[in-house]
Amino acid sequence: MESAVYNPGKLDRGLIMDPRTKLALLITVTTFALGGAGGRRCGMLVPVLCMVPFLLLLTAKRFKTAIIGIVLFWGSSMLLAFANAHDLRGLIYYIILGSCGVLGRFLPCIMMGRYLMESTTVSEFTAAMKKLHVSDNFIIPLSVMFRFFPTVVDEADSISCAMKMRGINIGGRHASKIIEYRMVPLMTCCVNIGEELSAAALTRGLGGEVKRTNICRIGFHLQDYAALLLCLVPWVLLIVDVVR
Amino acid sequence: MIEFENVSFNYLRTEQASVRNINLKINKGETVLLCGESGCGKTTLIRMINGLIPHFYEGRMNGSVSVAGMDTTEAELYETAKVVGSVFQNPRSQFFCVDSTSELAFGPENMGLPEEEIRERIDTTVALMKIRSLMDRSIFEMSGGEKQRIACASVDTLNPEVCVLDEPSSNLSLEAIEDLKNTLLGWKQKGRTIVVAEHRLYWLKDICDRVICLKEGKIIFDMPMKEFRNLSEEELRRHGLRSINENLSMAPIETGKMNPETITFEKLFYNYRNCDALHIDRLEIPRNEVIAVVGSNGAGKSTFSKCICGLMRGFKGYAIIGKKKQKSRNLLKSSYMVMQDVNHQLFCETVMDEVTLGMDEENRQRVVEILDKLGLKELADRHPMSLSGGQKQRVAVASALLSDKDIILFDEPSSGLDFYNMERVAELIRSLRGQKTVFVVTHDPDLVRRCATVVLRLENGQVVNTNSSGEIKDYGREKEKCYSAAVRICGQP
Repeated sequence: MESAVYNPGKLDRGLIMDPRTKLALLITVTTFALGGAGGRRCGMLVPVLCMVPFLLLLTAKRFKTAIIGIVLFWGSSMLLAFANAHDLRGLIYYIILGSCGVLGRFLPCIMMGRYLMESTTVSEFTAAMKKLHVSDNFIIPLSVMFRFFPTVVDEADSISCAMKMRGINIGGRHASKIIEYRMVPLMTCCVNIGEELSAAALTRGLGGEVKRTNICRIGFHLQDYAALLLCLVPWVLLIVDVVR
Repeated sequence: MIEFENVSFNYLRTEQASVRNINLKINKGETVLLCGESGCGKTTLIRMINGLIPHFYEGRMNGSVSVAGMDTTEAELYETAKVVGSVFQNPRSQFFCVDSTSELAFGPENMGLPEEEIRERIDTTVALMKIRSLMDRSIFEMSGGEKQRIACASVDTLNPEVCVLDEPSSNLSLEAIEDLKNTLLGWKQKGRTIVVAEHRLYWLKDICDRVICLKEGKIIFDMPMKEFRNLSEEELRRHGLRSINENLSMAPIETGKMNPETITFEKLFYNYRNCDALHIDRLEIPRNEVIAVVGSNGAGKSTFSKCICGLMRGFKGYAIIGKKKQKSRNLLKSSYMVMQDVNHQLFCETVMDEVTLGMDEENRQRVVEILDKLGLKELADRHPMSLSGGQKQRVAVASALLSDKDIILFDEPSSGLDFYNMERVAELIRSLRGQKTVFVVTHDPDLVRRCATVVLRLENGQVVNTNSSGEIKDYGREKEKCYSAAVRICGQP
């Protein structure tokens, strides 16, 4: 008997990339876009790199997020260019510089991280880590974190619903305690769920001495090579720069 | 197969022993039901079989437990895991992966089986449990019933000799319980030894061969199911048990007159990503009565409740309460949901602070009155998180009463409760009748029959049946029977 009423959608993740590629992209984007490494030589490449996460989000059919991101990113860069060109001074300039700078630098990195989290399944991630010869002591907590993240979001949603019903909001009488009211139940619930979760995982044999298998097949495809090549360029430029 | 020898156990930081001097032998291929009031030690026994006691939950343990010749107190958890598969109460917190296929592979992967064999095992399980349509999907987007089926399937891929289930039906609809029943029957046919701890007994009467009842950590009886089925209702009640021949009808209680005032909801529409989750043009319900909302998983009950409480973003409908039109924002102010996990809505350090949090003005006398009425007076200085589940529920109700809400909605208030606690919840809800409009979203026919005056049945986001108390529907059948339609298990006559 199938419940025809509600059927969860098949996982549709669009373009599938190896988690290692995504990790390489994340590191490259953060180093060059956020860290500003490479200086002038990489200057031209940075906007290209910054567009990568948005493009990836588009392939994963997250159109709304991607488009908002693109508009914000280009909007802030243009505003900054405008401010520079017109030689603005004083407070306004600093506000523009501050907010646009932060937005332009952080947004691509956050989006890249988000894409990595959303498009990678736990087993793909573990498999990739295994192939990178990372120790189990590191992989298991990380994979738990992957699993736990959506749960925490769910719990936080329910709690904010409860707060709304009690009239606890920024304009309300209890505004000063708003963080406490959110954190206390969240922590209690997360601890409970975490405990149940570990009990369930242990009864299914996690932590045994045998070598764990992973049925998830990962590997590099055309899109991975293209992305890795893109990552390589700024690094090569950086190294050349340092050597000279 | 399973042998308890003189076993006693104290959880850490508790005075009272949760089980005392248990001697028990369960044979291979037997299906055993463990029952008894909440806190009688059922869960403790289950945890001893799967080794979580003493390896995960710490405490003082005496005696020995052996499963298939292995001492579970000595063996490491991953050794026990090869023999014992466990299904737990909460479907939300027992899957480890995000997608269903890796979840099924998780157990065998931990055992280090070769990839080919794992794939074969998954195929066998999928065929056996008929869950092909659930494969390769996100578990987060599944309904409770579907999650529980995945939990059973992921136990099945380990092919354990012993299966233990700890209140597996608590959060399930009647339809999903039927699925669970079929799964257990399949396991039984394979000759597995099954131990189920449960409060709702009706669905196990054709599955279990033996019933063990516990009270305060001791076995009070151990009899074959044949004998157990003949126990009278009074005897069951004495042990705090629910009926074995549970009446699945969801007819409302018989009451005198209904309140003639009404609340009208209009345009209860809501879509999730092109999927019509709720579609009710107009719904008129009597004010200050108890309205049960029933229906299978995914019928739109939770969307319905969120809309009524004004928690849905972009919800355009409104309610007319006493000639005043209340839009979503006002609904948020005039309604309150008692959530299934009450922990989400307790914020303060003492019960007193908690219940007065939403009050507009301090009114000491009224607070005391209401606390007294709900039996919370002595607990006023306790921390809400230190209370029992039922007490927490009462605190939430008290805060709703004190913040002058018109509508109180209970989301599955009786899930996982034994007979007495369920009765207490029903009593609490009944006591609200006449002062508040109460919605009860539930799967529990026992609860519906004890407190609801109107029963709404949702299906595919629409109200397909309404039954008010005292109203005789012209179905050409008895009134009682006509409404058992509400629970007729889908697809089965």
